[in-house]
Amino acid sequence: MQYTTDVRIIRLMCTGRVDPTMVAEAFMEGADGIMVVGCHFGDCHYISGNYQAKVKIGLASKALGYVGLNTGRVVFNQCSSAEGDRFVSQVTAFHDSICAIGPLGSAENLSLPALKDRVDTARTALASEKLRWVVGKFTEFEKSGNKYGEKFTAHEMWRTLDTIVIDEIATHGILKEMGKGAASVVELARRLEIAPPEALKYVLALQRRGLVGLAGVDGSTPSYKIVERPARAA
Amino acid sequence: MAEEIRIGVFVCNCGSNIAGYLDVKSLAEYAKSLPNVVLVKENLYTCSENGINEIKAAIKEQGLNRVVVASCTPRTHEPLFRGTCAEGGLNPYLFEMVNIRDQCSWVHMQEKEKGTGKARDLIRMGVAKAALLEPQEPIESEMDPRALVIGGGIAGMTAALALGNRGYEVTLIEKADQLGGLLLKLDKLAPSGADGCETVRKQADLVSRHPNIHLMTSTHLDEVNGYIGHFQVSATTNGAKTQFGIGVIVVATGANVFRPAGLYGYDGSKVITQLELEEVFKSGPFAAKNVVMIQCVGARNDERKYCSRICCMVAIKNAIEIKEKSPETGVRVLYRDIQAYGTENEALFQHARELGVIFIKYDPARPPKVEEGKVVVHHELLGREIDLDQDLVVLSTPLVAGDDNEAISKLLRVSLDANKFFLEGHVKLKPLDFATDGIYLCGNAHYPASVREAVSQALGAAARASIPLSKGVMSVEPIVSTLVDEDACRGCGLCVALCPYGALEIVRGEKGRKVKVIPVACKGCGVCAATCYHHALSVNSYSDAQIGEQIRAYLEESA
Ligand SMILES: Cc1cc2nc3c(=O)[nH]c(=O)nc-3n(C[C@H](O)[C@H](O)[C@H](O)COP(=O)(O)OP(=O)(O)OC[C@H]3O[C@@H](n4cnc5c(N)ncnc54)[C@H](O)[C@@H]3O)c2cc1C
Ligand code: SF4
Ligand code: SF4
Repeated sequence: MQYTTDVRIIRLMCTGRVDPTMVAEAFMEGADGIMVVGCHFGDCHYISGNYQAKVKIGLASKALGYVGLNTGRVVFNQCSSAEGDRFVSQVTAFHDSICAIGPLGSAENLSLPALKDRVDTARTALASEKLRWVVGKFTEFEKSGNKYGEKFTAHEMWRTLDTIVIDEIATHGILKEMGKGAASVVELARRLEIAPPEALKYVLALQRRGLVGLAGVDGSTPSYKIVERPARAA
Repeated sequence: MAEEIRIGVFVCNCGSNIAGYLDVKSLAEYAKSLPNVVLVKENLYTCSENGINEIKAAIKEQGLNRVVVASCTPRTHEPLFRGTCAEGGLNPYLFEMVNIRDQCSWVHMQEKEKGTGKARDLIRMGVAKAALLEPQEPIESEMDPRALVIGGGIAGMTAALALGNRGYEVTLIEKADQLGGLLLKLDKLAPSGADGCETVRKQADLVSRHPNIHLMTSTHLDEVNGYIGHFQVSATTNGAKTQFGIGVIVVATGANVFRPAGLYGYDGSKVITQLELEEVFKSGPFAAKNVVMIQCVGARNDERKYCSRICCMVAIKNAIEIKEKSPETGVRVLYRDIQAYGTENEALFQHARELGVIFIKYDPARPPKVEEGKVVVHHELLGREIDLDQDLVVLSTPLVAGDDNEAISKLLRVSLDANKFFLEGHVKLKPLDFATDGIYLCGNAHYPASVREAVSQALGAAARASIPLSKGVMSVEPIVSTLVDEDACRGCGLCVALCPYGALEIVRGEKGRKVKVIPVACKGCGVCAATCYHHALSVNSYSDAQIGEQIRAYLEESA
């Protein structure tokens, strides 16, 4: 049983421990690919950690995909401790696919600093309260329904998740850009590569939440900035 | 805080297991260059007495406050090295293990240079993590000194008696309406010739009269929650629900006999299984004139790759029985290989041949054909097909995993193997334990076994189970979740809802609603820490910072 020397294993108690932000951080450190390997469903040594992991990794992959990372760089696999052969074939297949995708940045057509900056936006979104709640509730909703007893299929849930991920990434992208200084909607839209009306929608939503305010008006173009808020009281 | 970090790294050769495939000298040399490392030693076997003593001495003499061993797998050796640190006066959780055997030398045997490079990275990652480790104290909790045995066959009864005789209270749950299991259906038992029914009746009698054994027949196990020392069980007997607490569990649920529907014209009367043959023996005189037995029916094939171990012995036993009951009856056994292991089985095999039982080898590519009044088989030595007269065909079918195995494996959170038999914690080192603490296994539930083997396993499992029972207080690994930032916690309860073990609760205190960890219930999976958006929770020895540092240490160098 032999496999590539290109992998390093990080031991965790359970794949449920994998915080989606860890995945983003590893790419910011320069990893070319990340494979999360957990138990088979129904056979999790920690009961249900692997269901959580599947959603968390799926979400990380979506968020990273939206900011331009090749999603083939993140996989979630399942393998029991008695299945050495299976592990080897999973590692080998993943290694082959990463070799085909190429080193970080190449398939993305982005310089490393540019890619890392984008991954950082995904990381902030993955750390956000909203995405955490959705992920947390994902498995529960799928199994037992929401509080009105409505059940959702995984497909429906992922579709909902999709829009939330897009919203969160745009929102955090805007906050990040504004962190560099006041900016107009058109400018923000250009930097984030989204349509100006979309950018306006997010800016207005942020303004309603009191996170963003008017910085000034340049001719007829308003520019916006982040509203400084007192640090959280201890 | 600012205590100087002094890391000692011990690089093991594992004889030639590691040193044969990696350049261990250069690894040791490399480790010296890593931050905070003050001492590096190379050992032939770090786990030998010499190696252990070296670690202990180095902790004292060199003032080490972190120990890293680069060797084999933590699955088998982490407890040993943690213990060594403790004996040397170092908190055992200031220890980190780097697996350069299973992850390097064994899987990169032909790539010494690259494998060594990878081992260098792994050591660097381990050292980086070690620097951030923090001391932990074991978590102690009271042990419920009662046991549960599931399954009342010979194995389960034996385990229950052994535990009961040691003075522990035992609850024995049997789903059937009587004790005994498979043996109730058997005639004489090989190799002793004892009667199957009588053997189990004697045990059943002891069980039902035992003051420490609480017997529950016709009972269905509904739910098991908790962990070693604190399991809560719910069961239903004839519609009535009961709930009780126990500290350990022995699984002895046996196996089923494979029913060869559609194979060799199986009909249950003229073509029967060995189990049905035993019933024929029990029901009266034996009338058949020519018996053909076929071995490995439904076993050692693509669907069931394994050998059921007992069927050769059973066929030999029953062939002798036929000859003894009716000497003029012809008995032919068609086999692929005869597994008559051990002195007694071999003696039975020879005895059967002396009595005139004929053994004929068949090729699985050319299986025998059962036809009206005869069996046609390709005789390997004669090189042609021969006809064997028959008025009874007996099929030796394997034992297959019990119907309830999947359900029980979910209830108890223990694993099954590829054939759905229960899987032990470690083939060599923990053959009677599950990977989950406080749960043990014996008998056919694990793998087809003879009565003697099932009984030995049951005695062993009972002995294993009585180790925690005898302790009264149990200490749990402190690798659990901890509220590291109480201020950050908003008491939202998301983590509470997701914890698979019910180990979290929200309590209202001075600072408002905050989460509280119940450490004895926590298994350290980390779901909560990976969920909290305020990073209020962390898992000891697997904190965000420690994992992050490991990742950084890998990528900084290779970048
Ligand atoms: C045809 C045949 C002939 C054999 N001849 C011999 C022989 O000559 N000599 C010999 O040494 N061995 C012989 N054996 C093997 C012998 O039967 C086994 O070694 C023995 O039965 C193993 O005992 P056990 O307790 O592990 O399992 P079992 O006897 O299968 O007992 C398991 C018990 O668990 C109960 N159970 C299952 N699931 C649950 C649940 N969910 N909850 C509660 N209870 C449950 C079952 O009802 C059963 O009572 C023979 C086997 C066969 C099939
Ligand atoms: S620890 Fe985090 S997830 Fe849990 S209750 Fe507190 S804020 Fe919520
Ligand atoms: S680490 Fe796992 S078991 Fe422990 S409290 Fe967190 S979620 Fe529960």
